[in-house]
Amino acid sequence: MARIELQQLHKTFGSLAAVQELGLEIAEGEFLVLLGPSGCGKTTTLNMIAGLEAPTSGRVLFDGRDVTKVLAYHRNVAMVFQSSLLYPHLSARRNIETSLRHSGLGRADRDRRIADVVRMLEIDPLLDKLPSQLSGGERQRVATAKAIVREPAAFLLDEPLSALDAALRLSLRSEIANLQKRLGTTTVLVTHDQIEAMTMGDRIAVMSNGRLEQIGTPDQIYNDPATLFVAGFLGAPPMNLIAGEVEAGCFRGIGFSLPVTAPTGPATLGVRPQDVRVVASEVQGALVARVFALEHLGRESVLIVEADKSTKLRVLVPPSFGARVGERLFLAADPERCLLFGAEGMRLPLHPAVPG
Amino acid sequence: MKRTGFLAVALVVALFWSLVPIYWFCRMAFLTPLEIQHYPWPLIPHAPNPAAFYNIFGFRYVLSGNLVSPASGQAAQIIRGLKDSFLVSLIVMVVTLAITLPLAYMFARMEFRYKNSLLFAILFAVALPPVSTLIPFYAMYVRLGLAGTLSGLVIVDLTLTVPFVTWMLIGYFRNLPPIERLAWMDGYGRLAAFVRLVLPLARSGVAVAAVIAFLFAWNEFTYALVLVNGTTANTLPTAVSGFLHQYPEPGNLAASVLITIVPPALVAYFLQRHVSEMNLVDPVR
Ligand SMILES: Nc1ncnc2c1ncn2[C@@H]1O[C@H](COP(=O)(O)OP(=O)(O)O)[C@@H](O)[C@H]1O
Ligand SMILES: [Mg+2]
Repeated sequence: MARIELQQLHKTFGSLAAVQELGLEIAEGEFLVLLGPSGCGKTTTLNMIAGLEAPTSGRVLFDGRDVTKVLAYHRNVAMVFQSSLLYPHLSARRNIETSLRHSGLGRADRDRRIADVVRMLEIDPLLDKLPSQLSGGERQRVATAKAIVREPAAFLLDEPLSALDAALRLSLRSEIANLQKRLGTTTVLVTHDQIEAMTMGDRIAVMSNGRLEQIGTPDQIYNDPATLFVAGFLGAPPMNLIAGEVEAGCFRGIGFSLPVTAPTGPATLGVRPQDVRVVASEVQGALVARVFALEHLGRESVLIVEADKSTKLRVLVPPSFGARVGERLFLAADPERCLLFGAEGMRLPLHPAVPG
Repeated sequence: MKRTGFLAVALVVALFWSLVPIYWFCRMAFLTPLEIQHYPWPLIPHAPNPAAFYNIFGFRYVLSGNLVSPASGQAAQIIRGLKDSFLVSLIVMVVTLAITLPLAYMFARMEFRYKNSLLFAILFAVALPPVSTLIPFYAMYVRLGLAGTLSGLVIVDLTLTVPFVTWMLIGYFRNLPPIERLAWMDGYGRLAAFVRLVLPLARSGVAVAAVIAFLFAWNEFTYALVLVNGTTANTLPTAVSGFLHQYPEPGNLAASVLITIVPPALVAYFLQRHVSEMNLVDPVR
């Protein structure tokens, strides 16, 4: 088990900056999820932690020791690669054994370790098959077994579930989280799926364009996003983002205004669908909109309305809610639950901090 | 329905195209000279006799009616050609693999300076018509004393097989999954990963590369004719071409041609699985 620190990590490919100024700390035994859209530098970051890719500048520390120049194998980390890469020409058993080849363990010890992971992941019937004969989920299990059989100091997973179908993803998601807690191994998992991130991680590091946007617990990331990007990336249905201006202590967007104490200038107001209500017309400051669509999700419905031609808003409504497309209705947002973002996408306080 | 119709026609044409010459040579090889001259010629030898196969290896053969079919004048050439062809082809195959496997792998999987210019140089060598280098080679070989030697022939063959096989393998290696990363995590070095894991994974590509190099050297005629023919070093195709300058022996010629196509046919038969397994892509992307 290791405590991992990344300090001022940069990686450029030619003229492309894949990772910039990345600094973060992963506690011993923690499950950190790196979340971000595809191409934002997650895999590159993971490769630098693993030692497969040398950073252009910056340092990687394991337990306070600088390992930036240490080869992958000697960092004692294990990795599950994108789409559960295995040696295609070796059976599942040989694939797992290969992880221990340079371990210096005796035959008996190796066999015992392999038997342990085989039991833990229930892959006994798969051992003599080639990777091409395994289903996606089975391959994922074998790749996991191959990784944990080393009893690594850290466990790195690159989109381990992205190649699987939805039902399988759901069950393997909790399996990985459960396994990580049982083993207590420091783990970094890369995903572009916000639900995976929210459900599995102790903490989530959100990346975009090679930069760290925010790091925090799922609760912090969801309820207290530091940037417009984080606010828009997390949550399903996504947060409503209304572009507008702050003028004279008041945010004004499409037919909608909210008193705030932010500096004058362009700004974006964010409010989650569950914090918007359909109200009677009398309510002061209500927003007029037309119904665009109603999506039934079973436990609730998502009402999609058009505030103007370019702005659609989403509102969570009870499943019994009925509405005709084109119908006019009035919306009000809970001012306490609104978030304000400045022109650069940084979060602005709605109200001045209360001294105390 | 229409598609299967086209397919059938295409198949028939392809079979006709490739099998008729072979049938024709088989027929001639098993006929006696008298029967060959006979008109109309029999489509199938009614009493196939193996005389030609004895004759080309220097043995006489007694036909029915005490007729003697004498040993062919080309026999010594054919025997030496067979031996030399095997030798040259095997050496070319092994050396080609030894050079091209690491070379193509580096182009496919590593980054280094001038990579693109070097890749272009290789592709240029493939694009060059081989005959254009014939005369320079000859002039150079005479001075170096390489004319008329098997080593000289091996070197010429390599100048053609190496670029072509490299070019083919670059595309193949590019298509392999990135197992080096797994290998590094497992504690293999670059070289060990290549030898112990990538090559076994790439066995189809290796097999096809070997076949291409072998067959190329086996079939190479122009250079062999100019550089080594008429010397103690001699390959099978040039030995067979020697029949042109002899009193006509169509049966023996046909038998020699059949002997020449047997090894490539065997190789192709046993390796066709690998050929279909490897999917080639263009290395220039
Ligand atoms: N070996 C490489 N050479 C050049 N560009 C690369 C290389 N690896 C990644 N990149 C680029 O770096 C960026 C980040 O890639 P990556 O870390 O794989 O993103 P992610 O895993 O978040 O999808 C992408 O724009 C990608 O095209
Ligand atoms: Mg990736």
